[in-house]
Amino acid sequence: MMRNSLSKFGQGIKLPGLSFLLAFTLTGLIIAISDAKVLAKISSPFEFIKSAGAAVGNAYLALFQGSVFDVNLTKGHSFLQGFYPLSETIVTATPLILTGLSVALAFKSGLFNIGAQGQFIFGAIGASYVGFHFQLPIGIHILAAAFAGALCAAIWGGIVGLLKAKTGAHEVILTIMMNYIASYFILWILKTKQFLRPGRIDPIAPEVNENARLPLLAGDNFRINIGIFIALGAALFVWWLLTKTTVGFKFRAVGANSQAARTAGISVPFVITSTMMICGALAGLGGAVHVLGSEHALNADIAGSFGFDAITVALLGRAQPLGTVFAALLFGALHAGGRTMQSSTGVPLDIVLVTQALIVLFIAAPTFVRYIFRLKKLNSSASLTSKGWNG
Amino acid sequence: MKKSLKLMAVVASLTLITGVAVAPASQAAKIKLCLALDTGGVDDRSFNQGAWAGAQASTVSNAEYLPASSSADFAPNIKKFVDKGCELIVGVGFAISAEIVKSAKANPKIKYAVVDDAGQDCDANWNCSAVPNVKGLTFQTDEAAFMAGYLSAGMSKTGKVATYGGAPYPTVTIFMDGFARGVAYYNKQKGKSVKVLGWDPANPKAGTFVGNFSDQNKALTISKGFEQQGADIILPVGGNLGAPYAAASEKSKKSLTIWVDSDGYGLLTAGKSILLTTVVKEIGASIKSVAADVAAKKYSGKSYVGTLANKGVSLAPYHDLNSKVPAKLKSEILKIKNDIIAGTLKVN
Repeated sequence: MMRNSLSKFGQGIKLPGLSFLLAFTLTGLIIAISDAKVLAKISSPFEFIKSAGAAVGNAYLALFQGSVFDVNLTKGHSFLQGFYPLSETIVTATPLILTGLSVALAFKSGLFNIGAQGQFIFGAIGASYVGFHFQLPIGIHILAAAFAGALCAAIWGGIVGLLKAKTGAHEVILTIMMNYIASYFILWILKTKQFLRPGRIDPIAPEVNENARLPLLAGDNFRINIGIFIALGAALFVWWLLTKTTVGFKFRAVGANSQAARTAGISVPFVITSTMMICGALAGLGGAVHVLGSEHALNADIAGSFGFDAITVALLGRAQPLGTVFAALLFGALHAGGRTMQSSTGVPLDIVLVTQALIVLFIAAPTFVRYIFRLKKLNSSASLTSKGWNG
Repeated sequence: MKKSLKLMAVVASLTLITGVAVAPASQAAKIKLCLALDTGGVDDRSFNQGAWAGAQASTVSNAEYLPASSSADFAPNIKKFVDKGCELIVGVGFAISAEIVKSAKANPKIKYAVVDDAGQDCDANWNCSAVPNVKGLTFQTDEAAFMAGYLSAGMSKTGKVATYGGAPYPTVTIFMDGFARGVAYYNKQKGKSVKVLGWDPANPKAGTFVGNFSDQNKALTISKGFEQQGADIILPVGGNLGAPYAAASEKSKKSLTIWVDSDGYGLLTAGKSILLTTVVKEIGASIKSVAADVAAKKYSGKSYVGTLANKGVSLAPYHDLNSKVPAKLKSEILKIKNDIIAGTLKVN
């Protein structure tokens, strides 16, 4: 039994693992040939390979130093200070885990949730408003703010579910359009008296009260906060929901074949609406954690690209809760590490976007990966990427 | 003579013995200058790019930068520079100011500067106090924009000019204020009634804004809307936002454009022929001068304000359209410039 699940895990990780390897190899090539110092040595092959290797090695070393552990930071400080980059990785990954779960859960029900961005925005708005507007006791304030964020986003996501269930409108179109509405809505609401920070005319809300901020886990020098546990708890919840409950079974049944599910007596409109509501709540919780945990104030580009990166994260994580957590941590590490890479080796931060894109490209093309590595069979859930479109 | 030779020999041998070279002051070690950019990228043909160009041009420093993909990157980028041992950290842009101030208070030994903001420490009730190791670099861009407004009013054939911004930041609306007041001044002087679309200093709520600094399509739509309403000179205030419009207008010949921040003539790939002028804000020069101050140990937290008088702001040459601008108008604008510098003409 144990062995069986292990080999299943091994199969499951093969495609993402190999894609990851390929993407890093290609990125290495790009780093090498875009370095003027390396190119200057092209006349002598040995020197060229040596300097190319050094350039790529330094870049990846910096990537590691910027995302996990940097020995330079321990100088004159405690050893633990060297793990500051790891804290940054986790802080960046936390909202991504939640938005990633939102997209992953939708995948499981056969829905393509492109709307995590908009849901994230509504989560951030709800959490921010409760965070700065009310004075509540410690503990309760965080709960209230996070709940408000999740609720706002659940309603926002639920609208899509309801529209699809009642009218048959396509969720991809709906969520894309709802993203636009959300990103202009936040611009507008930040101009209103309720949200505008006193003394400012640019779109930024007041900071949330101390009581509403997520407690830090490792002292003031680190930004890591309990948000990561909220995200991990959410991942556990999604796993439990999908595998241990009747509702989850219905979700998966509709995802596998909605016609058959309907014939079996499952209410498809109910599944679609409730899935989208839960997806909204998850992405909204991401927005809430981002505002309450690290940013503390709502501004117009609070959502960054968390909602869009979530699609990639969910794909990389094969729409599995655990896989999504690891994929989000990887993306968090790439983002945090890219900063050090640019700062100490001059390789532009944007190269990590290339890596991210390549990973997804390979995951979406399993046949290609199979061909490169001469594999006979790759337990692929590539259908994941296309199935969502059929709803 | 002999005595001084002897002295020199002693100094030289001492140097040899101790192995320490006596370096002249001008060759002192370069300072580490670190730029935390705003969103939009280092090649935004606007303030990020201008700031980075200025930092690179500084001969007394080794410069580096970090871009921000969203505001969530501001704090970690600054922290990265602190850990790296940067001696001067410059926050580029109004939006990053609060994070710069936070970091400056935690690291009193590091010198900071922030572009487009006074860099003060403000509490929730907007009570502000100066921070000794933060230098604000601000610009009276309305002085140069005033000249641009007067110029536009004089050049317009339809009697309508327009301006719009990326987002209603004070650093954006100050351009629009100056522009609109320049037009109003022209009307008063000449008894004309040239209209400004998109901005009225008396009613800022009704101003036209894209909503961000990246949606070039929306900027193009706004520009075309103004053209349809009859505007034949348009000033978009928002970095690279106006680029597609400049390219489109070069083909349609419906309107002339005015660029902001860095002289658009060197930056635009298409639209040079309809570029009337640029309201220049010398961000790069201001950063260069702070770096020089730090290197010479003359740094102070006192704010720098760029004006026409200290050449921190200016109106760029007319380039391709030089022959189209009447000589009389040119001399009037020169007079306005001198009056503003002399303080006899108030722009606000």
